[in-house]
Amino acid sequence: MNELSRVQIRDLMAQVLKNQGKVLPADDAADLREVGFRSLDFSELALRVEDETGEELNFDAPGLRRIATVGDVLDFLVELQRQ
Amino acid sequence: MSDPTAPAASVPPSSVVLVSGGSRGLGLAIVTDLLESGVKVAAFARTVTPELRKLAEAQPERCHVGSVDVTDLAAAQAFVRAAEERLGPIDGLVNNAAIGQDSLHVHTATGDIARIIETNLTAPLQLTRLTVRRMLGKGLRGRIVNITSICAQRGFPGLVAYSATKGGMDAATRSLARELGGRVLVNAVAPGFFASEMSAVLGPTQLDQIVRRTPTGHLTEPEEVVPVVRMLLRDQTNINGQVIVVDGAASI
Repeated sequence: MNELSRVQIRDLMAQVLKNQGKVLPADDAADLREVGFRSLDFSELALRVEDETGEELNFDAPGLRRIATVGDVLDFLVELQRQ
Repeated sequence: MSDPTAPAASVPPSSVVLVSGGSRGLGLAIVTDLLESGVKVAAFARTVTPELRKLAEAQPERCHVGSVDVTDLAAAQAFVRAAEERLGPIDGLVNNAAIGQDSLHVHTATGDIARIIETNLTAPLQLTRLTVRRMLGKGLRGRIVNITSICAQRGFPGLVAYSATKGGMDAATRSLARELGGRVLVNAVAPGFFASEMSAVLGPTQLDQIVRRTPTGHLTEPEEVVPVVRMLLRDQTNINGQVIVVDGAASI
């Protein structure tokens, strides 16, 4: 599997936000609500990662509910690729 | 094909009821209640819990239980045969067994979608077919109660495939009621969200929101659904082909 690095996922996340006129902060601790990154944005990001890796990323909702910061998003997707 | 409408004899109360998914939660509550009401019960689930085992051991002549996966039609057939040998002909069915969902549709594995549909829609339709064939073959009248969900009528994130199966069972309920011509009464009970395991699919925020919007001020409890199921199986009513929502008016 062609796994994406945390930096590469961050770039994709920045693109998702940029398409909505938003900016991804440099700080991984930034709160997603303040950034304006919603659950469907997370889905878009996950699907972009899938496009890059060629592997489906499926997961249950409780994992998503724990995600609050930019760093949580990146950690979650890095970990998900390894499962 | 439509049959001419003719006055039909009333359907007697069910005396031997088959309950799928009877080992815990609402299913276990239904089994317990029916036994207390004097009904004989055949209940199966993938795993027979100690609670269900205890009921069977306490009333062996009135309660037959077994470990059966509802998607295993051959096993279900064998269970029904064994139950009828012990309890007598089944004249009531509660399609309760189901699996939940907790994932956005785009992130639900295709295999999981297939599994949800097989368990929650295909299997109860097969079990219904099996049971109705036996009822009709013996010249019996009977009653069927499908446990569906408010998800069949209202939208909730993370429950797309689950909702589709429950909506399918609501639709099947209406067509079965027509098809069986009053010889078998077919209804559905659609609970709102329980404050228990199935509601784990919604976060605390969503559950709080549902409670706030519920005129009765609380989430549905299994004990509030059980009397409706019993009424549909036992009471003399002309209710047929209906979906009865039990949610404290949260969805109106």
